Amino acid sequence: MKNKQSSPLKVALYGMDDRAYKTMSMYLKGPCKGVAIVVDEADAEIDVLDADHIKARELLGQIQARTPNRPLIILSLEEILLDGTIYVKKPVETVDVLAALKQAKASLATEKVKDIAKPETEEIIDEPSTPQSTNQPVTKEKVPAAKNIDKEEKKKVSKHRTATDLTEGGFSTYIGIIDGIDFSDPEQALKASYSPKGYFLGYVQSALKVCKAKGRILQLNSGWKPLIVFPHSQEIWLDVEDKQLRAFAGVTISKNGAKAMSLTAIDQSNFDMKEKMEGFFDSDHFLWKLAIWTSKGRFPDTIDISKPVYLKQWPNFTRLVVTPHAMQIAALLIRGPRTAMSIADALNIKPQYVFVFISAANVLGIVGQARRQVDELISPSEVKATKSKGLLSRVLDRLRGKGI
Amino acid sequence: MSQYKIIFTGPVGAGKTTAIDSISDVAPVKTDAAASDMTKNRKAATTVAMDYGIMNLDDGEKIHLYGTPGQERFDFMWDILTVGGIGLVLLLDNTRADPFKDMQFFLDSFGKFISETSVAIGITQMDLSSKPSINDYHKYLQDSDLKPAIFAVDARVKNDVSLLVQALLFSLDPGLEGE
Repeated sequence: MKNKQSSPLKVALYGMDDRAYKTMSMYLKGPCKGVAIVVDEADAEIDVLDADHIKARELLGQIQARTPNRPLIILSLEEILLDGTIYVKKPVETVDVLAALKQAKASLATEKVKDIAKPETEEIIDEPSTPQSTNQPVTKEKVPAAKNIDKEEKKKVSKHRTATDLTEGGFSTYIGIIDGIDFSDPEQALKASYSPKGYFLGYVQSALKVCKAKGRILQLNSGWKPLIVFPHSQEIWLDVEDKQLRAFAGVTISKNGAKAMSLTAIDQSNFDMKEKMEGFFDSDHFLWKLAIWTSKGRFPDTIDISKPVYLKQWPNFTRLVVTPHAMQIAALLIRGPRTAMSIADALNIKPQYVFVFISAANVLGIVGQARRQVDELISPSEVKATKSKGLLSRVLDRLRGKGI
Repeated sequence: MSQYKIIFTGPVGAGKTTAIDSISDVAPVKTDAAASDMTKNRKAATTVAMDYGIMNLDDGEKIHLYGTPGQERFDFMWDILTVGGIGLVLLLDNTRADPFKDMQFFLDSFGKFISETSVAIGITQMDLSSKPSINDYHKYLQDSDLKPAIFAVDARVKNDVSLLVQALLFSLDPGLEGE
């Protein structure tokens, strides 16, 4: 007898090997009378996870990150009761599966789920442990087949937008300046610090840490615009224009403002992320931008600016705001620790360009304070010009004139 | 006059031809041909010899941009290509099954050239596959002696390619200034 549903529920299966995947697909068609069909993650309405899979915990995190509002049915030998999930004991009974699907369907209908994390769904395909990948026939060709691509990723235009490259002239316009500090005076420059904790930056950093530690998607409420942290995909969603964010970044958060800061579960009623894909930012890109707008040429008080710092890795400059001389600073600092002032001296640039770079790199965790005695003991080597410096400089000119 | 070159390398489909096209002052000479072997799974046409472009400098000097063929069966050409090279731009396709393996292969293959010059790595197709992330690439290399610039790159976007090559130049000499 055919099921009377007009259209079957679309489910995605996780944590199942090839055989289990096929069996479950057949089971839904047969004993469950086609009440649900197995589809790709991107097209699914409901997720079904076998929690006894060896990488179930990892898969669960991925599912919650990518499809946080999609009903999730968990199959397991042991009872697992997680908020927002529907448990079905294994080995599964048809009546239980049908009940779970009914509950999931009701959840879909009543909550009008917005599939906010649909862009992420096919990323799971990249993971070797996911059922999708285990179900793919293994290619024996030397040249591996391309992975399935994320159709929605392209819509995150902010995330993939090419860099803004700032000249010295554009610095004050784009980043802003702090009045009353003469950076040409070393004494004043060395006092030009700020406390990230006192700004929106500090709260966003804290929110990221909490979300990462808890493995949960949470909303930072600031009394301004809601900001959502996606720790698994390292994304931030915020529906705001740059000029608004720049202004807010520079405002010191008062005690009352601090009281308004809170991390909560996502309030779906206020906005629709799917409709505003441009609100997705890579978290590094977002933090970098927030840091330069908070810094305005100052350095964070978490760094002892009189002591050497080191750079762990190059920033991903094509997706960041390239502050004046940032490339040079990175290239120099990647060679070994230096103090900010020695960088400014070596490159013959103003200290605030070094400070703003250190501020931004610091929030990404790619700048560290050198703690080895030797780093303070021995002065860094001089920057030796290459034999072909003139030629390379002309190539640089050509690239900057042509490409930007 | 000396022959100054920047070498673009990477696996099939990583965007070498497009990247050269992005910054070349002349229409690049392409030597694409219909793919007839395993490459055909990824591209209808592929580079079987090399790509060539030019950047003209103000004083009449030219920088030659060479793209290596992506297929391993042409690796005998790579040593010849790198003679006189300023540095290496390695492009990796993030949608391939194992881009780390690709990276390791090319870093090993051009190891001598890189040790004498420098390398900057561009990860393409990140808007189609965001994993591995740029940080994952850095983590992969953390035990090696290399700390190259690794950027997400859309080979069609001139600014992306330009920044990558700039990073290569600054890696060679952080003290560079425009003239």
